[in-house]
Amino acid sequence: MSHVDDGTLHAYLDGELSAAEAQRVDAHLAQCPACRERLDVERALITRAGELLALAAPPDRELPPFRTGDVKPAPRLWWRVRLPLAWAATVALALGIGTYLGGRGGTGIAPRPYARSSKMTDGLAPSAPALAPDTPGRAEREARPSRHEQRTPPPQPAPAPAVGAIAEAKPEKRYQALADSLVALSARDEAVAAGERSMLAAKTAAPAPSRLEAFKGDGVGALQKEGPITPDSARAVLGRDPMVVPDLPIRGLYRGRIHGYSGLVIVEQALDSSTTIDVVNGPVPPMGLDAVAVSGANGAPPPRPDMPSPGAQAAPGRAARQRAAEPPAFYVDVLGPVSADSLAVLKRRLRPLLR
Amino acid sequence: MPEDLADVYRTTYRALVRFLYRKVWDAERAEDLAQEAFARALVHKPENARGWLFIVAANMARDDARRAARERRHLTLLTAEPRDAELAAEAAVEAESDRARVRAALAALSPRDREVLLLWDSGLSYDEIAAQTGLARGAIGTTLSRARRRLVQAYEAGKSGEHVARG
Repeated sequence: MSHVDDGTLHAYLDGELSAAEAQRVDAHLAQCPACRERLDVERALITRAGELLALAAPPDRELPPFRTGDVKPAPRLWWRVRLPLAWAATVALALGIGTYLGGRGGTGIAPRPYARSSKMTDGLAPSAPALAPDTPGRAEREARPSRHEQRTPPPQPAPAPAVGAIAEAKPEKRYQALADSLVALSARDEAVAAGERSMLAAKTAAPAPSRLEAFKGDGVGALQKEGPITPDSARAVLGRDPMVVPDLPIRGLYRGRIHGYSGLVIVEQALDSSTTIDVVNGPVPPMGLDAVAVSGANGAPPPRPDMPSPGAQAAPGRAARQRAAEPPAFYVDVLGPVSADSLAVLKRRLRPLLR
Repeated sequence: MPEDLADVYRTTYRALVRFLYRKVWDAERAEDLAQEAFARALVHKPENARGWLFIVAANMARDDARRAARERRHLTLLTAEPRDAELAAEAAVEAESDRARVRAALAALSPRDREVLLLWDSGLSYDEIAAQTGLARGAIGTTLSRARRRLVQAYEAGKSGEHVARG
């Protein structure tokens, strides 16, 4: 065999030769002192080059959290928020007009929009006077019995319900969005789960069909964060360690409630200084969550059916293996004001919170 | 199976920053570009995220260098300060720095040699480097051996050059 060229020596030293090639080099080196010497020289060269490059390395910093701020914000979150927001705006506008007209006229014009708006808020302004909107004449008569009583005009209370309505609308908007995202997720997962079921039918028990309607029925305020909870209590509630995204600071653990079901633990974690995400953990899922629970427990969210990825065929297989290994009756999801893709990434990173 | 981008992030982020840093020579900028590359990966969901990231990063660094060059030209026109004086001041500040010497030595390599060396130093395999650069896999070892030799030679030459200059 002829001498080993420099390129082959470097590939040899870099461990990048195939076994057969490396054997040939070994054989030659064993009988060629010149090439052995060259090997030492090249090894020293590689070491030296590495040292020099290390001199020109950036300062070693801690791995920053996986920040997704540069990604364009997911439009879907906005769509989810839009409807409740529009309602809040409508209510505020209606109450505002009522206040404005009432404040100006101080007479019977006010009760009508007020009564209507109280109807629209559907119990958000329970202190609203029970004025029948279809009998404006009577309402007007009752609203201006005398000049004296106009000093304390009925429209005065209007601002209070208005503020109350908005304040109440805010968390509802939030939870509506969260609940909707759960619905969206479960719907998405349902499509994949349907495909998986046919594959799995022989091996494992197919997950129960999701009762989406039951879950969808009570959208408003479906997911609520309640009082703080200690990690130990969370474990007791869940019967296992709550799942968290490793490396993200934990802002707090809370009890959670969804659809009248109170066994949830919500881990609030800081994605960055201004963004927090909620990791929702639950034991045996409440009604309507079957599909979510199954896919969530896998820790491997399936690809979206509308965006087929190269792994679309492989993913169900992996999910199936993991499902066979893990009890599926554990629900976990990540919610937050970032794109669905980011949430999926975070969801895949979930690990049990260690003691 | 799609690669788990979060895992790729953990294993590749620092290497990507290192790779970018040796192109833009600004740690902050390198980190920004690396983050941007990962953000794009989130959107594009490339099959081979690692290789994809380095390609995107290389492109971004090149665009960044072009923009920087444009801005410098613009600045030169605006400030009317002689560029030579500026360079001399920079050189004086950086003269003692090993970093600057390595930077100069890297600049002495051919673009292809430099690219292969930086990719190897960022942890890419020969296969990955071949895919990245379009070189034949068999040529990577040869390219690396040349790049390493020239880097060390250029570095030593720069050092002795300084000694000569100082007298």
